[in-house]
Amino acid sequence: MPLLNDLTAAVAAGKRTDTVRLTQELLAAGTGPGTIVEQGLVPGMAIVGEQFKKNEIFVPEMLVAARAMKEALKLLEPLLAAAGIMPKYTVVVGTVQGDLHDIGKNLISMMWRGAGFAVVDLGTNVPPEKYFSAAQEHKAHLVGLSALLTTTMPAMKETVKILKAAGLPNTKIMVGGAPITQAFADDIGADGYAADAGTAVDVAKKLVGEAA
Amino acid sequence: MTSREKVRRALNHQSGPVPVDIGSTGLTSMHVSCVAALRQHYGLPNHPVKVVEPYQMLGEVEDDLARVLGSDCVGMKARGTMFGFKNEDWREWRAPWGQVMLVPKGFGPREDPSGDVYVFPEGDTSVPPSGHMPAGGYFFDAIIRQEPIDEDKLNPADNCEEFKPVDAAEIAHWKAELTRLQGEERAIVGGVGGTGFGDIALVPAAFLKHPKGIRDVSEWYVSLVERRDYVHQIFDFQCEVALKNLETYANTFGDLIDVIVICGTDFGTQSSQFCSPATFADLYAPYYKRVNDWIHAHTKWKTFKHSCGAIRPFMNQFIECGFDILNPVQCSAKDMEAPRLKADFGDRVTFWGGGVDTQRVLPFGTPEEVRAQVTERLRTFSVNGGFVFNTIHNIQARTPVANIVAMVDAIRDFNAGK
Ligand code: B12
Repeated sequence: MPLLNDLTAAVAAGKRTDTVRLTQELLAAGTGPGTIVEQGLVPGMAIVGEQFKKNEIFVPEMLVAARAMKEALKLLEPLLAAAGIMPKYTVVVGTVQGDLHDIGKNLISMMWRGAGFAVVDLGTNVPPEKYFSAAQEHKAHLVGLSALLTTTMPAMKETVKILKAAGLPNTKIMVGGAPITQAFADDIGADGYAADAGTAVDVAKKLVGEAA
Repeated sequence: MTSREKVRRALNHQSGPVPVDIGSTGLTSMHVSCVAALRQHYGLPNHPVKVVEPYQMLGEVEDDLARVLGSDCVGMKARGTMFGFKNEDWREWRAPWGQVMLVPKGFGPREDPSGDVYVFPEGDTSVPPSGHMPAGGYFFDAIIRQEPIDEDKLNPADNCEEFKPVDAAEIAHWKAELTRLQGEERAIVGGVGGTGFGDIALVPAAFLKHPKGIRDVSEWYVSLVERRDYVHQIFDFQCEVALKNLETYANTFGDLIDVIVICGTDFGTQSSQFCSPATFADLYAPYYKRVNDWIHAHTKWKTFKHSCGAIRPFMNQFIECGFDILNPVQCSAKDMEAPRLKADFGDRVTFWGGGVDTQRVLPFGTPEEVRAQVTERLRTFSVNGGFVFNTIHNIQARTPVANIVAMVDAIRDFNAGK
C-alpha cells in the first residue's frame, strides 16, 4: 500500500509530523493498527538500523527517527491494546550498576521497540535484583545489559551470574557496550551479544526463537 | 634537556626522548584511588589525596609523584569545578570505597543510606542536586534537569548562560597560578574553559543551579539535526565570548604556557561517529577554525583537542581546523590502529595519548602485556617526534598498581635506550 510505504520512508527519515499525519491517514482509511506497526513502522526502523550499521547515519539521526516512531506509537498503542494485540516478546533493558552511560542503551531499546518488542527500560545504574524482579514481573523473554566502562564490566558479570542462578528458564540474556566483546559475553555466560543497535535486533530475534 | 624542551621538540615534530604527561589536565590524569595507591607504592608521604576534579574524581598528581612517574607536563589548576563550587576550603571526606581524601567545602556531599552520593551546583543544597555517584560507582554523572521544552519559546540565549567574559577574580587566580609555576622546567598546560563546542559532558550544566534551554543529552543530539540553527546561534555567541576572553588570557599568560586545551567534545563511539564529516564541516569546523586561527596568530601556544572513539574520518578536518594536538587517541576503537594513524597523520598533528589501551591491557592485562604494548606504542608513535606519552584517557579506578608501574618503567627504559 503506498501510504504504508510513505510511512516507512517518513519514519526512516525521522520526519515526525509526516509520520503522525500518515499514521492518522492510514487509520482513517481503515488500516488496522497492527498492520500499521508491522508494515509501516517496523520496516522503517529496520532501514534505520541498517543505515546505522553502515555508518550512513549516526546517533542524532537515529534518535530523531525513534521520536517519529514514538509519536506514531502514541496514537497506535491504545488501539492495539483495545484490539487485544500485544507484542509477542518482552525485553527488560538497562545499564548495569555503577554505570551511567545511556546513549547506547537508549538506541538498543528503541530499535527493539521498533522491531515490535515490548521494552521495559530500567534506566541506568541498575542493580541485579532490579533486573531480576522486572524480568519476573514482566515475564521477559530477554534481558539486555549495557556497560560502557571497564570498571562496570564486573557488575555485568555479577548480574548475569545472579540472573542465571535465579532460574528464569524462558529468559535469555544479551549484553553489549563499548568494551564488551563476544569473548567476554561467552566468558560470563550471556546468551547473546551484539556490537551495534542494528545487529542487536537480529540477535534478539534469534534468541527468542523468531527467525531473523 | 629540560622537560619543557622535550615537550617542545615533540610538538615541533623533532625526534628526541619521548615526553610524558600524567596529570596535567582533567583528560590525562587518574582516579583519586590510583593516586593514593601509587603514592603508597613509591613510599611517598602518606596523606589524603586532593580531588582536583570532582566529576571524574581525579586525584592530584603532586610534584613528588609526578617526578617519580616521569611526567614532563604540569597543569594550571582550575579555580572552579564541574559543579560550580570552587576548589577551596579543603576538608577530609571518606568515599564509599573507604578512602579518605580531601574535597572542597562546596562538595558537601549528601550521602544516602543506599550508598548513593549527591553533590549540588555551587554546593547549594537548597536547589536539586546536579551530580550523582551511584553506590558502587567511582565518579559522578550529571543529573539531567531538563525543563519541558516549548519549541516556540526556545531561545539560544538560554543555552549561553555559562559563556561570560572573564572577571577580575578569575584573572587573579590565573596570575597566582603562573606565580606558583614560576621557574617551572616542565611544559605548562593551560585550559581556560569556554572554548569547547557542544561537549556532551557540559550540556547538562551541572555547574548551574537552574539550567535553561536544551540540557538533556538525547535532546541535544536531536537538536544537531532538528534545530541546527539554534545550535549555530549558541556556538556563534560562545565563539565571540571565547575570542574576547582569549585576548585577555593571551595578555595574562604570554609565552609562559605551552599548550592550551580547547575542546573535549567526543566525536567518536567505539565503532562509529557521532556525526558525519559533512555535519562536522558545517556545525563545528568554522568555530574551531576561528579559535585556533586566533590563537596561532597571537600566541605561541599549541592547541589541544580531545575526542574519544573512532575518529579517523575526522582526522583531516581536525588538522585543517588548526588543531596541533590530538588526545586521547583511542587505538582500541575502529580504524584507530597506531601504525596507520602515525603513518597517515603523524607529520601534521601531535598524538597526546594512545600510549596504552585502557579498555583492556592496562586494567586487565598482566604487567608483561602492559610493558609490551607500551614499548610497541612508543616505537610507533615516537618517530620524528609528534608524540607525548599519555594513557588513553584518565587511568580508571581499579587499575592494578603493578600495571601502572610497568607502564612507567617501560617508558623510562625506552627513553634510556634499553
Ligand atoms: C559519550 C561518552 C560519554 C558521555 C556519556 C553521556 C551519556 N549520557 O551516556 C560522557 C561525556 C558524560 C562520558 C563520561 C565518562 N566517560 Co565516557 N564515553 C563516551 C563515548 C565517547 C561514547 C559512548 C557512546 O555513547 N557511544 C554511542 C553509543 C550509541 O554507542 P555504545 O554506547 O557503544 O552502544 C552501542 C553498542 O556498544 C551496542 N550496545 C550498547 N549497549 C548495549 C546493550 C545490549 C544489550 C546490546 C545487545 C548492545 C549494546 O549498541 C549500541 C548502539 O550501536 C565513549 C567512547 C567509546 N569508545 O565508546 C567514552 C568512554 C566509554 N568513556 C569513558 C570514560 C573513562 C568516561 C568517564 C569515566 C571519564 C573519566 N572519569 O575518566 C566519564 C564518567 C561517566 C559516568 N559517569 O558514567 C571511557 C571508558 C574507558 C574504560 N576504561 O572503560 C570511554 C571508552 C572513552 C575512552 N577513550 O576511553 N562519556
